[in-house]
Amino acid sequence: MPIASPAEGNFPAYPPRPSALGNAARWLSLGALLFGFLIAIELMSKAIQMLAGEGLGGGSSEMFAGIHNPFAGLAAGVLFTVLVQSSSTTTATIVAVVGSGALSVQDAVPMIMGANIGTTVTNTLVSLGSLSRRAEFRRAFAAATVHDFFNLLAVATLLPLELSTRVISRSARWLAEQFAGSGGGRFDSPIKSSIKAAYKGLLYLLEQLGLAGPSLATAALLLGIGLTFVSLYFITRTMRHLLAGRIERAMNRALDSSGVVPILIGAVLTVAVQSSSITTSMLVPMCASGVLSLNHAFPIVLGANLGTTGTALIASAAQDGTDALSIAFVHLLFNLAGLLLFYPIPLLRRAPLALATGLATLADRSRLWVIAYVVGVFFLLPFFGWLIWHSH
Amino acid sequence: MPNTNKKPDHDRDGLGEIQRKFLEMLEDGRHAFDAAANALVGGTDPDAIKDDLFKTDRRINLTEQDLRRKLVVHGAVHGMNHFPLLLVLMSLAKDAERIGDYAKNLYDLALAKPWLGDAEGRREIVVLKDRVSRALVRARGIYELEDIDAARAYLAECHQIEDECDELVDEALRLEGHNAAGLALTARYFKRVVSHASNVITSLVVPLDKLDFYDEG
Repeated sequence: MPIASPAEGNFPAYPPRPSALGNAARWLSLGALLFGFLIAIELMSKAIQMLAGEGLGGGSSEMFAGIHNPFAGLAAGVLFTVLVQSSSTTTATIVAVVGSGALSVQDAVPMIMGANIGTTVTNTLVSLGSLSRRAEFRRAFAAATVHDFFNLLAVATLLPLELSTRVISRSARWLAEQFAGSGGGRFDSPIKSSIKAAYKGLLYLLEQLGLAGPSLATAALLLGIGLTFVSLYFITRTMRHLLAGRIERAMNRALDSSGVVPILIGAVLTVAVQSSSITTSMLVPMCASGVLSLNHAFPIVLGANLGTTGTALIASAAQDGTDALSIAFVHLLFNLAGLLLFYPIPLLRRAPLALATGLATLADRSRLWVIAYVVGVFFLLPFFGWLIWHSH
Repeated sequence: MPNTNKKPDHDRDGLGEIQRKFLEMLEDGRHAFDAAANALVGGTDPDAIKDDLFKTDRRINLTEQDLRRKLVVHGAVHGMNHFPLLLVLMSLAKDAERIGDYAKNLYDLALAKPWLGDAEGRREIVVLKDRVSRALVRARGIYELEDIDAARAYLAECHQIEDECDELVDEALRLEGHNAAGLALTARYFKRVVSHASNVITSLVVPLDKLDFYDEG
């Protein structure tokens, strides 16, 4: 390859500031993407209702029959999230399914918890980038798996509690009723009407393709899932581009902060980019290089877990009734309860940190631990759940 | 092609903050050099500048560490987008840090009060010191403005100063009747300071793999 001569001034220059026009266009496209996301949720929800109306497989609620088993629900949440690599897509889909009435809030709780576990596979895979450098890999793997262990411990603690007392789903429903009650006419807003009009337009287009009955409903469901995935992907990309400077400043601040501040930073960043995986994956190289310690990364991870609940809350805005909002609040309350349980109490805080450090040490000795862990948690565990679901 | 008439417009970007930190290092390096070189050839009492010099050098070291952390964070947030620039800055920060180290070497030499030549020779050393100091000031400005034409002229001048320093070292080695070790070391340290400043400016005119190596031909 020819080497540029000095006369060309071929140096890696500082990038120019983005133009105001370009930024304005991005903000506008963000609004359009958000609108598209809400249409997708509405489309999914209505498609499931249509499937129920068509009596497909004995009604759509029959489709989710196995989900009555909480382990199957948990596994479905993990598996769907691992496959789409986005807990936001999973939770938004769950909101749509619950909003359609095909799945009860109580049955959806384990699925929401599963989405939390499934989303951690992304940063675990990111940490494998340091596999060839031992010390760096140990730090990177610990930073990635501390998120996993926190979520696993939170599920292990809070899922039995929820199953025996329904405390999370009942609290969520109460909160949803308060919000729905105080919201007044928010469900009749112009945005809501536009969403309904747009989804009807999409259905009309599908009908023009000759689709009808179950095939129309299935096509609408697939289109809804696809549109959710694509709109969330581009929302994340656009927000990351628009807010990169602020994200960088916040991350720099997080290096030296402690207590509640890193939690808030993690939460705000995740709400902004609509993806906890983006936030936690940023932490992996920072921890790998030793710039950020595991203890400092942990509260940011907890904040990311809180921030990611924003997606379900936004998705619920497109839905009628309180069920969709209730399941969105379940996501928020579950992550908040996990944080309150595993962060303020030093003994419990040390548990996910110790487990992540311990696994990283084992993984450093033998890479088989990495394979066993990733396959076990993200594939075998949901596979057994899938078996339970289908044996129902 | 970067604008050579005004400050480039990237202040709000995270790299703007990184650049500011780096420019602070260059400014502190110049300050440390001036203080130490004045103690060595300008007649300033070394004790009078000791605290300031060591405090400045410590600040340079801490800024370098902070800059490295910021580079890692920038890489984590932006991915591979600015990867070559991050590598360049990692290297340049080391050059800026070394200027502070050479200032401390000059201070140590000043404590020994070495023989630096007769009156005429000392005047030449003072002139050389002033040229090095001006080169440090200009390095900061040229880097900040990303002024490529000025960078080429600057590098040519730095080569000239380096050649003069080499000649001074040769003369010192040939001198008889005096202990010229101090003179040789002074010229050598001046040359190294100029070399590190010119390394910074090479980043404006050569590709990453040729960093620190600038051939005027």
